[in-house]
Amino acid sequence: MIGPVIFAFVIGLLIILSRQINGRLSLSTTPLISSFWNHLVGLIFITLLGLAIGDLIPPNLAEIPLWVYLGGALGVFFVASGSWLITRIGAVNTTLLLISGQMVSGVVLDFARGVPITLWACVLGIVLIFAGMALTQRKG
Amino acid sequence: MTSPTAQRAKPLYLLAAFGSGCLLTCAVFFNGEAGRFGGAMFSSWQAHGVGTVVAALLLAFIWRRERKAAAEARETYGKPPLWAYLAGILGGITVILTSWSVNSPLALAGTLALGLAGQFTLSLIADYWGLLGLPKRRLDMRDTASFVLIAAGSLLIILFGVGSA
Repeated sequence: MIGPVIFAFVIGLLIILSRQINGRLSLSTTPLISSFWNHLVGLIFITLLGLAIGDLIPPNLAEIPLWVYLGGALGVFFVASGSWLITRIGAVNTTLLLISGQMVSGVVLDFARGVPITLWACVLGIVLIFAGMALTQRKG
Repeated sequence: MTSPTAQRAKPLYLLAAFGSGCLLTCAVFFNGEAGRFGGAMFSSWQAHGVGTVVAALLLAFIWRRERKAAAEARETYGKPPLWAYLAGILGGITVILTSWSVNSPLALAGTLALGLAGQFTLSLIADYWGLLGLPKRRLDMRDTASFVLIAAGSLLIILFGVGSA
């Protein structure tokens, strides 16, 4: 159990580290150029890994609906906005606000898709998040 | 190299970041569906492939503006260090660790909760020391309060709100 716990924690560290590094690249270039390099280098890395261990191209490729490929396009904007934000409002604020958006929209998406949710916990969680977001704003 | 100064989040930044978090929810949903059809490796591979093409097309569209902005940025902050190009590798590793962790006894909720803990921890450290050439930023009481509220709200949603019902 300690193995997965460490992995899961490290995932969080890697997310922040990669945003920090992309942010540094964007300082000397632009957020969009930085996002391009992030995706290209990631693509090369995963291609090499896939060639080594397989599983890159599934046998049911033709059956996969085209709309699932939208995720990659959205990722470009997500990475670029992360670089843009972190160089302006810092790592903590960027992380807090991105996670706020992710949590609230996640609840809305589950609710819209009819996935069962525990209403009191979701509502209370969203109220706490909105209160925290309000506090990040300048006074007055 | 000079460092920019980080500031308190203005409403524009708040909206941009919140919107970007919503975008991430959609991206994670689409990539999850790609993974359901073709596995974690394929999901990550296609997302990076499509992302590379989309980013290149966008850059081609606004290349004049981007080239000018990049030249000015280089003037101010110098040539980017080589390591700054390598963040994509971390993204690839993240995908693999996530598919391991989600399939362990931690499941999705445990993976998300511990992942958040990792994100919060390193963000605090990064701001405190201004890691990797980004600005330093010390938290005041207000920042600490908003940190506690957002962390508590997120954990409440992950551990008791969604998925477990």
